[in-house]
Amino acid sequence: MGDDQYISKKDVLEAMGISYGQLYRWKRKGLIPEGWFIRRSTFTGQETFFPKEKILARIQRIKDMKDEHALDDLAEVITERVNVKLHVAFDKLRELGWFDEQLIETCCEHAAGEHTLSMRDAFCLASLKRMSRAARPEEVDLLNRTLREALDAKRLDLTALEGKHLFLMRKQLSGVGISAEISVAVIGMEDLMLDPETVRVDSMDLAAMLQQVKLDLAKQGVEEPAGAEEGKEDE
Amino acid sequence: MTDEKGSVSLSGAGAVAGGSYSKVSISGAGRVNGDLVAEELTMSGAGKVNGRCEVVRLRVSGTGRFDGTVIADEMKVSGVARVEGDANAKELKCSGTFRTSGSISSEYIKVSGSLAVGNDVEAEIFRASGGFDIGGLLSADRIEVHLGGRCRAREIGGARIDIRHHGPDRSSLLENILRALRTTLGGEAEVGTIEGDEIYLESTRADIVRGKTIQIGPGCKIGLIEYSESLSVHEDAEVKEQRKV
Repeated sequence: MGDDQYISKKDVLEAMGISYGQLYRWKRKGLIPEGWFIRRSTFTGQETFFPKEKILARIQRIKDMKDEHALDDLAEVITERVNVKLHVAFDKLRELGWFDEQLIETCCEHAAGEHTLSMRDAFCLASLKRMSRAARPEEVDLLNRTLREALDAKRLDLTALEGKHLFLMRKQLSGVGISAEISVAVIGMEDLMLDPETVRVDSMDLAAMLQQVKLDLAKQGVEEPAGAEEGKEDE
Repeated sequence: MTDEKGSVSLSGAGAVAGGSYSKVSISGAGRVNGDLVAEELTMSGAGKVNGRCEVVRLRVSGTGRFDGTVIADEMKVSGVARVEGDANAKELKCSGTFRTSGSISSEYIKVSGSLAVGNDVEAEIFRASGGFDIGGLLSADRIEVHLGGRCRAREIGGARIDIRHHGPDRSSLLENILRALRTTLGGEAEVGTIEGDEIYLESTRADIVRGKTIQIGPGCKIGLIEYSESLSVHEDAEVKEQRKV
């Protein structure tokens, strides 16, 4: 694993100026996902490697959160557990970049009257907002239906998004006297391969998006309602 | 917990359905069929929970078997407990035998009996004077092991790691004899990789030891040591390779 995509544990400690004690503590708190610890045999024996970019960014973020309380909050947010029952008052969201009242109409019709969002709604909303940079209104709707359907059918699980991307693609069709363009929304792995005529308009890392949403919500001081349960999808 | 919840005591051979109870006590051969939520579960006979078990206080002085995850604030095992799943206890004290095929996460673990874990053990403080066999990573802020039996782990990681024959040096003749006895009886540690900030080891075999300040005491056999600040090696220890990083 000599390539620079990965970094050894030793080098992480040195680069970030942290100790083994801290690293293991953060791992126990769930601040560093289990899946990032990649054990490999090297000529000196077992060594642990990490995805370089991810681990350095994560540790920087942890170091920025000085006090222990904030760290626990961060742990809540980062851990794979998703509190699906979490409802967020709209007014807490207005300050967030991805809050868009028009988009809410599109993507969370049932929540409109209540002025709250579930974690799932927040995730869909933020995803659509991000995709709407390149997508046309009817494509946003298509992406919305794609996401919703995948979530409803439990084909897409908020607790297992690692590696999954949401793609928007377009394909030109032209024949004798007729030309058309079709839009395609796809949820798939990052390394999805396409025919040469299909253009990838935009794509988005779903796991990264979910984490961003959770961090944003944590920053807004969104607290879990008492008695809320985490884990299983049930609305 | 509300007052409405009942208590149940099984003293002969019997079974009770899972659910929410105040106290459950099994002194004969008893079974709980289904998930159990209770303030207290005591097993002094042969007990079994066929399901997930979530209690405030859990005591096993007889034999206790658990089919699913066990969650407790306080867990004491003086008999034999066996968990087919993960155990999550704020405080875990084991003077008997505790086996789990999954992982243990806890704040404080004290083992004076024996502990066998299929996967990882996580705690803030881990103290052992008995033996343990951990299939995965043993991780804690403070790890203190007084070698009282065979202590094995695939990996150990934490801030302070201290593995030695017995507490602070008060070598009386009797203790010296006991120490010699323990060593011959297999009071030693066997670990793949040990990583920590301050490490002290005695009678430990390890492939790799990495840390800031490392002291290798008598009876150790270490393949490779990587240290960043200081290293001392006892004359009765064997270190194949050492490097400052």
